[in-house]
Amino acid sequence: MSRRSPTGRAPADLLLRGVALSYLALMVVLPLAALSVQAATPGVAAFWKHLTNPFAWHALKLTFATAFIMVLINAVMGTATAWVLVRYDFPGKGVMNALIDVPFAVPTVVTGLMLVALYGPSSVLGSFLGRHGWGVIYQQPGIVLALLFVSYPFVIRSVQPVLLEMDPAEEEAAATLGAGAITTFRRITFPTLWPAILTGTALAFSRALGEFGSVVMVAGNRPLETKTGPMYIFGEIESGNRDGAMVVSVVLLACSLGILIILNRLQHRGRPVHGR
Amino acid sequence: MERATVNINGGLRRLARLGGFSLSLLLVLLLSGSGCGPARGAGGGEDTLTIGAYSVVREAFREKILPGFAAHWKKTTGRQVRFEESYNASGAQSRAIVSGFDADVAVLSLDGDIERLVKAGLVAKDWKSGPHRGLITRSIVVIGVRPGNPAKIGDWSDLARPGLGVLYPDPKTSGGARWNINAIYGAGLLHNPKAPDPDAARDLLSRVQANVVNMDSSGRQSMATFERGTGDAVVTYENELLLQDKRKGSQAPYVVPETTLQIEGPAAIVEASVKRHGNREVAVAFLDYLRSEEAQRHLAEYGFRPLDPRLEPPGRRPLPARLFTMKDLGGWSKINKEVYDPGGVWDQLFTQAKGRNR
Repeated sequence: MSRRSPTGRAPADLLLRGVALSYLALMVVLPLAALSVQAATPGVAAFWKHLTNPFAWHALKLTFATAFIMVLINAVMGTATAWVLVRYDFPGKGVMNALIDVPFAVPTVVTGLMLVALYGPSSVLGSFLGRHGWGVIYQQPGIVLALLFVSYPFVIRSVQPVLLEMDPAEEEAAATLGAGAITTFRRITFPTLWPAILTGTALAFSRALGEFGSVVMVAGNRPLETKTGPMYIFGEIESGNRDGAMVVSVVLLACSLGILIILNRLQHRGRPVHGR
Repeated sequence: MERATVNINGGLRRLARLGGFSLSLLLVLLLSGSGCGPARGAGGGEDTLTIGAYSVVREAFREKILPGFAAHWKKTTGRQVRFEESYNASGAQSRAIVSGFDADVAVLSLDGDIERLVKAGLVAKDWKSGPHRGLITRSIVVIGVRPGNPAKIGDWSDLARPGLGVLYPDPKTSGGARWNINAIYGAGLLHNPKAPDPDAARDLLSRVQANVVNMDSSGRQSMATFERGTGDAVVTYENELLLQDKRKGSQAPYVVPETTLQIEGPAAIVEASVKRHGNREVAVAFLDYLRSEEAQRHLAEYGFRPLDPRLEPPGRRPLPARLFTMKDLGGWSKINKEVYDPGGVWDQLFTQAKGRNR
């Protein structure tokens, strides 16, 4: 990435670089370091004890499980949505394209309120589902629903540009050679798309690990049932168990960071294949 | 950057100007902020009192108590009093004061939040030795129900009926939620007045908890969830329901269980702050005023039960047959240890329920 700055004047160049790096250190590295130090202070044994506390462990498991279900759904539906947006023309396409980013703009607490209003036990839809034993709000499916909403744009927005740039000639060639739609997708389209799908899902997954505002409104907050990691952290901080909260925070954080680092690696490896 | 040739330098200069502007703005703010500082407690006929309170008393304080005290102070000393007010969740307010918010008077929802200030050396150890053991308000734990009480709820045991939806806040995040849970726990514990029965207490609480739909992070949010149509019953404070009534001109239906807990709201002087501000006199007068007949009537108007039962407003429901206090349960520190500490009754509710399900 070390390219020469286009403006080329050394002092300004250095200054800009210094400012950018200090900004990164100030906004990201310092808080992360402070958290890690605080979590590490009580020692390994205490860390292990807080981590294996049944409430903490369950909250972490629930966070990962719900995030995983969410990314599976998003990977499929997000790719399909991007496909429809790129490959088809239909009235209202512009509006649809704009709507996709709305989940990013809505405050997450509002997302939670919306979902409660729509699927909550007192709503028409919610009471119908409830009568058939499909409780959504204040149950685990509610968590997945909230995560799906807040991470909706990730896969679409990372697949869309790749699809746009893709040369249709390859697919046409495959079709000419007698490949069916499914074979063409499997052999030609998917190999080009998968890095983008992976990027989208990984970003969505990291986002989901930390999601609090919407989940707290819909989950029900019952320990060992519907309390996720971020809710556990909030509860423990509020009730004075900082160490327990720090340990779960650090685990969530380390996973997010790990995912992003692996993602970066994969993208670098993928680069020559795409010839970019 | 002496010779600006490229736009990047111009940009930097603009940035520097912007930075300079915001810096001077900050300086102005700081100066004006410190400008008010010396006025407090000093001469000039004006006193300043900083109040750190929990959110539930906001309306009563803003509309009646603070104007009432200002008039009272003017009458007795001839001086003006200016208030700086902050209202927040009780636990958050308490922590804010510990981490440096210089409130002169702390008005919080439970003893534990004042005790945190004692532990930090900000409040005198003997803060409960004054009149009314440091309390300024009372209330009781009640059950809010749907209009007409379709679920036919009359007592705590009804909340344990299978299929009922119950709401109360999470005691991990809401100190006030502990009042609610202690009421249920205590009703079980004291069902036989002669011999406290911890097994019955645990059993009642665990059967009610099995019906809990959602635990919000505060009592207010729990009420909001109930009002949005979730659940058949909400365990809450009587004053919260009566305050909503006052605000909305409605009459929210609620049930007073036969055996319930008396809620006691404390207030204390933050010695560290009044020492710094030199306004202990006005802080003491304010606490005395809070316990005066006038202030107690105001507080009652906003849903609280007065310290002196004779000041009870007309039309208020009679107190239940068996009203117990935290003292009857053995005090806060005993209950906190027994119920809320890690591995206590509260944790066991979930670990054991989990075992039963399997």
